[in-house]
Amino acid sequence: MVFIPPFVPETFITMYMPAIYAGLIVGFIATMAIAMKREEIHILILTDLVGLAMIFVVSAVGTDLAEALILPGLVVELAETLAISEILITREMRKIEQDPRANLTKSSSMFPQAFSLDMEIMTTAPNFIALVLIGYGIFLTGFTGGAVAGGGIVLHAISKKARGLPVLLLDGIAGVSGIAWCLWIIGFLLFFVAPQYWVLSLFLAACGLLLKVASKVGLIGLLMREDIDKE
Amino acid sequence: MINISLFFYFGIILAVVGSIATAWGPGVNDPIVRTFNTEVASIGVCLVLLCYNHVLALLTLLATTVIISLILFRAIIRLEEMGADV
Repeated sequence: MVFIPPFVPETFITMYMPAIYAGLIVGFIATMAIAMKREEIHILILTDLVGLAMIFVVSAVGTDLAEALILPGLVVELAETLAISEILITREMRKIEQDPRANLTKSSSMFPQAFSLDMEIMTTAPNFIALVLIGYGIFLTGFTGGAVAGGGIVLHAISKKARGLPVLLLDGIAGVSGIAWCLWIIGFLLFFVAPQYWVLSLFLAACGLLLKVASKVGLIGLLMREDIDKE
Repeated sequence: MINISLFFYFGIILAVVGSIATAWGPGVNDPIVRTFNTEVASIGVCLVLLCYNHVLALLTLLATTVIISLILFRAIIRLEEMGADV
């Protein structure tokens, strides 16, 4: 017995079984390939495919619930890939350091070519685009706004660092996360204690989520900053 | 009139073919080729999400796909520079 809510369209119900089977097939192919591979980096790339199979199965639900479940799934997958790639790099580095014959270069650069152009648009345009992205992200609020604003922060950091200038913006941004959690929890609590203030609590939660996501995307820029140390 | 089921089944076929290409396709012993082949499957998933009207999920999938491929390329480049077997 399958319970189907009355507001699911008829088309989505007929699309349910093909989507589930496609998700199962993709997941089966990905897990078989993971079982056959030895190198860790290949396994990490193939884990991406298992995430795609997860999206298939979740999106087959077809309502807003699916959308609400896909978003955290994708973000968790992103964080997982980031963490595992860091662990892989550190482990290989330890392995090579123990080998006395290997010569390990101290820092590897994301952009191998030194890039020096002295034009005015190189200094003004990235700032302007970053400002527009951050402003639009704050206007949007919520998850999407956080992603847009974080993209602006990353663009600013990368464009500054690629020219060899110091980035001062990202140093304190990790501390914003605590404030964001407080806003989110207060908003959530207010939603149950005083439901008549639902607009206030919605905006508290949305602004908290904005700060949270923007600071997280900014942290990825912080991590890339360690790569790009130029002389 | 746009036929939704056409896009839906095309997305499914693209996802399955892309995952087969990622798993056993030509030249996949190079990790960069394998990462590019993942994009084919993710375009298929994008089409399926488009059919289901999941706009936010579609945008987030596009954004995370870009960031994940950046992270993977960074990991591959650093591992190859260190001389590890990839």
